[in-house]
Amino acid sequence: MSSTPLITPSTLDAGLKAAFAARSKTSEAQAAAFERFEKLGFPNRRVEGWKWSDFNAVTRRVQPANDITNDNTVAPSVFAGLNPLEIQIINGRIILPESDTIDGIEFGILDSVGTSPHMEDHAIAALNVALTRKAFGFSVAEGVSVERPLLIRHINTGSTPIFTQTMARAEANSRVKIIESFEGAGAYYSTLFHLGVRDGAHVERYLLQDAGAEMVTHGFCGVMMGRDAQFRQTSLSTGGALCRHETHMLYPGPDGDSNINSASLLSGERHTDFTTIVAHQGEGCKTRQLHKGVARDRGRNIFQGKFLVERTAQKTDAKMTANALLLSDTAEANHKPELEIYADDVECAHGSTSGALDDDALFYLRQRGLDEHGARALLIDAFVGEVIDGIGDDGVREVFRAGVAQWLEAV
Amino acid sequence: MLKIEDLHVAVGGAEILTGLTLDVPAGEVHAIMGPNGSGKSTLSHTIAGRDAYEVRGGRVTLDGDNLLELDPDERAAKGLFLSFQHPLEIPGVQTMTFIRTAMNAQRKARGEEEISAADFLKRVREKAKIVGLDDAKIKRPFNVGFSGGEKKRMEMLQMTMFEPRFAIMDETDSGLDIDALKMVGDVVNELRDPSRGFLVITHYQRLLDYIKPDAVHVLAGGKIVKSGGAELAAELERSGYDQFIEAA
Repeated sequence: MSSTPLITPSTLDAGLKAAFAARSKTSEAQAAAFERFEKLGFPNRRVEGWKWSDFNAVTRRVQPANDITNDNTVAPSVFAGLNPLEIQIINGRIILPESDTIDGIEFGILDSVGTSPHMEDHAIAALNVALTRKAFGFSVAEGVSVERPLLIRHINTGSTPIFTQTMARAEANSRVKIIESFEGAGAYYSTLFHLGVRDGAHVERYLLQDAGAEMVTHGFCGVMMGRDAQFRQTSLSTGGALCRHETHMLYPGPDGDSNINSASLLSGERHTDFTTIVAHQGEGCKTRQLHKGVARDRGRNIFQGKFLVERTAQKTDAKMTANALLLSDTAEANHKPELEIYADDVECAHGSTSGALDDDALFYLRQRGLDEHGARALLIDAFVGEVIDGIGDDGVREVFRAGVAQWLEAV
Repeated sequence: MLKIEDLHVAVGGAEILTGLTLDVPAGEVHAIMGPNGSGKSTLSHTIAGRDAYEVRGGRVTLDGDNLLELDPDERAAKGLFLSFQHPLEIPGVQTMTFIRTAMNAQRKARGEEEISAADFLKRVREKAKIVGLDDAKIKRPFNVGFSGGEKKRMEMLQMTMFEPRFAIMDETDSGLDIDALKMVGDVVNELRDPSRGFLVITHYQRLLDYIKPDAVHVLAGGKIVKSGGAELAAELERSGYDQFIEAA
């Protein structure tokens, strides 16, 4: 009797294997990571945490090809008006500013690629570790407030799977705004971001995914929070074949404070997954999380949020809210809010809703003179507005708002 | 002005308006009074174009334009305004942004110029004072956290801003105290002119103490069963609706 494997390797699996074998220089850590990936494979819907985002199924559609050119010309960023310090990562090639220190930020290209213990069983992160050649690193010096935002553009234009990494550190009492934009019409893009927010530092991170409908994106961001550190993150995604942005936060010490907000605007068959895990270990940390997902056509809005509050994390104050607005019968929203609490003196809450546009509100607006499109757009804009209005930086808020307006034009 | 002829309307398969005929000429204020369930709100929503109301027969025209074939926003652009019985809270929508957007949408549909931000601001502040809404209230998200009375004031603010050609006031008086009733009367009386019409829907005579109607109609069983002058409201207040319910 012949034994046929239940899951046959995909073209991408074979391509990745060939790509890894062709590497002339790989570290032991990378070899181990690739072995782990081979053992685990792309996660499928039977794997905990991946039920609604079946990477195994979607990556089978990816047909990798060696189509990277040396063309580094890209259109100006939608954030250009903010005069950012711009770093382009074009199909994996890192293009840094000419000077290696600007406004107190030091830039560099790193040889070693990062691993961390909580990524051990994460197949996609392991694959990234195995295949990333160079990482982009930067650090903000102690006590420095950087006025200009740092813009990292992840640009992917071809069928070659791309793996990138960023290692960043905001030293004690520094302030910095980091914008990451995911652009282009590529096939598979994977990025790992390790961010250290040291004692008393304040970091804003803005993430905008406005890329092709066929794009498979996986973003993994690990944030290590110092004492009294503040972290403000807002993400906006119009999705792709499957876009998953994970944020893994750890408060090892006391009095950290974060807001992690996200909004999805999905049409066609676009899919966005915001998955976060916030682990509270130190005392007195505060976390606020708000997700707003809008889906029309066959769009799929996924939100998974978990607050882990360990026994040591007394006085934790953590609230999570996820709301979905479904504009068609075939659109989907899947929310999984989770609290896992071992401390007894905490304030933790979560809530989740989903629904359609309110007919009474639509009629009211139309009676006042707004046409159907205008009335729908106003209500959708108001729905995601809570996330957008929460953006601390005026310039970034305007760019995000324009992104929402552009999406609404087509509703 | 507003002409309704033999209007039949069903909601959820049940016929609520059963052949309603009404004519409100320009320059006049007509009141419709009637018991609960007589079809008052069905009438206001049908005229405004709510799609859950199924028009089975009849005609509704405003200055000769057939309203029934227009979308709600097209009716609004023709100058039709409905003051809602239960105004909504719309979280996330800034009051002033919304009113200005709506005004400009109507103006655009009529081929008129948009109102400038400066003119709008001046006017909305002036009118807000008249209806008794302070600056903080009009800077909030639309009606969010407002009392019932404040929501009705917001309806009146919009009516004074839009200066509609024809306004339907659906139980604007419910939930209002004496001062607010007087304000509503002042707003309507200020807007009254020979080119404008009003249809005031109410249960009680008290609002009509402030807005003297040119005609009063009794709605019962889905049609107008009696019409008369302002004195009819006083008569209803004394004798109640029972005689008309039996007649219908």
